[in-house]
Amino acid sequence: MEDFTCPRCRTSKFQNPSLKMMVNVCGHGLCESCVELLFLKGSGSCPECRIPLRRNNFRVQLFEDPAVEKEVDIRKRVLRDFNKKEDDFESLLDFNNYLEKVETIIYNLTNNIDIIDTNKKIEQYKKDNKEQIQKSKNKLGREEYELEEMLEMEKQIEQARKQEIQQEEIEAKKKKIREKEALLDELMFSNANAQNILETFAQQAKEAQVEKAKAPPKSSHFSTGIKIGGTSHNPFMVPIDEGPLYQYKSVTIQTNGPEPPNDEEIVSKGFINHVRSETEQERAGGFKSNIACKRALQDALLGLYHTRTSFA
Amino acid sequence: MINKLKRYEKIEFLGEGQFATVYKAKDIETDNIVAVKKIKIGSRQEAQDGINRTALREIKLLQELHHKNLIGLLDVFGHMSNVSLVFDFMDTDLEVIIKDNTIILTTANIKSYILQTIQGLEYLHLNWMLHRDLKPNNLLVNAAGVLKIGDFGLAKLFGSPNRINTHQVVTRWYRAPELLFGAKQYSTCIDMWAVGCILAELLLRVPLFPGESDLDQLTKIFSVFGNPTEENWPGLKSLSDFIEFKPFTPIPLKNIFTAAGDDLLDLLEGLLVLNPIKRKECTECLQMPFFSNKPAPTLGTKLPLPQNIRKTKEEKPSLKRKLLDSAEGGTLSKRLFF
Repeated sequence: MEDFTCPRCRTSKFQNPSLKMMVNVCGHGLCESCVELLFLKGSGSCPECRIPLRRNNFRVQLFEDPAVEKEVDIRKRVLRDFNKKEDDFESLLDFNNYLEKVETIIYNLTNNIDIIDTNKKIEQYKKDNKEQIQKSKNKLGREEYELEEMLEMEKQIEQARKQEIQQEEIEAKKKKIREKEALLDELMFSNANAQNILETFAQQAKEAQVEKAKAPPKSSHFSTGIKIGGTSHNPFMVPIDEGPLYQYKSVTIQTNGPEPPNDEEIVSKGFINHVRSETEQERAGGFKSNIACKRALQDALLGLYHTRTSFA
Repeated sequence: MINKLKRYEKIEFLGEGQFATVYKAKDIETDNIVAVKKIKIGSRQEAQDGINRTALREIKLLQELHHKNLIGLLDVFGHMSNVSLVFDFMDTDLEVIIKDNTIILTTANIKSYILQTIQGLEYLHLNWMLHRDLKPNNLLVNAAGVLKIGDFGLAKLFGSPNRINTHQVVTRWYRAPELLFGAKQYSTCIDMWAVGCILAELLLRVPLFPGESDLDQLTKIFSVFGNPTEENWPGLKSLSDFIEFKPFTPIPLKNIFTAAGDDLLDLLEGLLVLNPIKRKECTECLQMPFFSNKPAPTLGTKLPLPQNIRKTKEEKPSLKRKLLDSAEGGTLSKRLFF
């Protein structure tokens, strides 16, 4: 989804960062503005496969591969009817067979195999299991409801926390005002020396502040990363610490399989001949086909010696 | 699930962003300090779809990687509709160190930082992964002077010939010229260019190519290395976004990095090559004389760090800047002012 060009207007994400790819049931992509243009009347045909489409079936593309998008679409549609749960079956085998059947249907629809037949099958199933489907749907609704409830609860907790913080702030303000009033009262009505009274109050305020400072260890000066006025530290004294000299040690990766061929062997033993050679553009971007070849060989040989005991 | 929730005891709130909230926490079982990144799933829509994609990438790739120079994903757990990732706690990052002008970076210090970076990257590349967002801000450093590569939100597997990649990766200042020209197939070379830019920044203490737009970025690059030609970069004109620039005459790197030694300049020249095919790989770099020559790389415990980290480590835990930034959802660096 990161980088796509609209097949119709050839706008790419680079030219237009706000480009949004849309996809319909046929699995072909189209950018948002093309959709708007072509489907002014609400329906039209896909510019690639000519299948009639409706505009409100266009969705924003989520996956890199539009085929996946198509499958997701079909899966959603099929699962709306094939919504039995494990509890609805007597044995695990039955359930597995049922899942297998559903997967076959989805696969067929995604890859355009026996579409008419498959659709018939779905219709048949719908007719046969009308009641069951309705029942399961209600059950599903309940699950969604629970999810919503959970989110709602979390929101409430969040709000409560915010309120608490607000409450605390108000409390602190009130306390400050009260202290000030107490000081004024004391000065007005007490017989003691005004200077002494002032001192005691200042002392009290200081103590409170110290307590506060102790509680949250603020490290505000860190946001710039620079602490201004490092007095004791002399910046021109750079201690020289000699560690051991570095020596390169090659890294080996535990493959648990036969040694994959190295860069020279890929060429000399002819592995490279079985891979599509890179285009000029790919080479200019720093991609060479021996990278792909090496990775494919490594992946193929990885873990071939794996046994249960080798990991114990 | 309940056990895991109790296992990490919240110490401090570090930051909140669009996708995640980050807490500093203590692992009760091991007594280690960790960073917990809690991915939020706000709306019902998202709750149905699954979790945030960058988080998924981080979980998927980091679970299989274990190297002392890569950030460790220690644990993942879920609670209600949230997913939380537990990382090693890191005290600071290279961007802070570079910007802190009370710190002096010697050749040995720079060697140590860049060595750790390339070692981590070598392991990553050997496992067929590209980081795709290397910058000082993503190189995290802890109080023991261990550098770890972090933020795998853009990382991706490479080496498949039919997979098209986006060229809109890597923060602009560290983006390789082939990406700026719109290459869709690329390999480890893009990370190596970023390492070259980081090395240059460690020396200069300001970004080498602070481009203001993609075009400005290319102008800045060519003003140092001269314009690329079909001879030194074959196939250049076939790249989708290629355009001609007004001619620049190259400047020798020696004139820019006046204080750098010859072995260091060799490494820089190996990393900052316009043609990606000719750029040096991690393994080649590690075998270059710069790393084996004197001065030896500084030991981790003696690396210079911002003052507030070592001094007040006990009573004043520092913020984990990187996680904060990524939590805010922005990968664009702020401008540096000096």
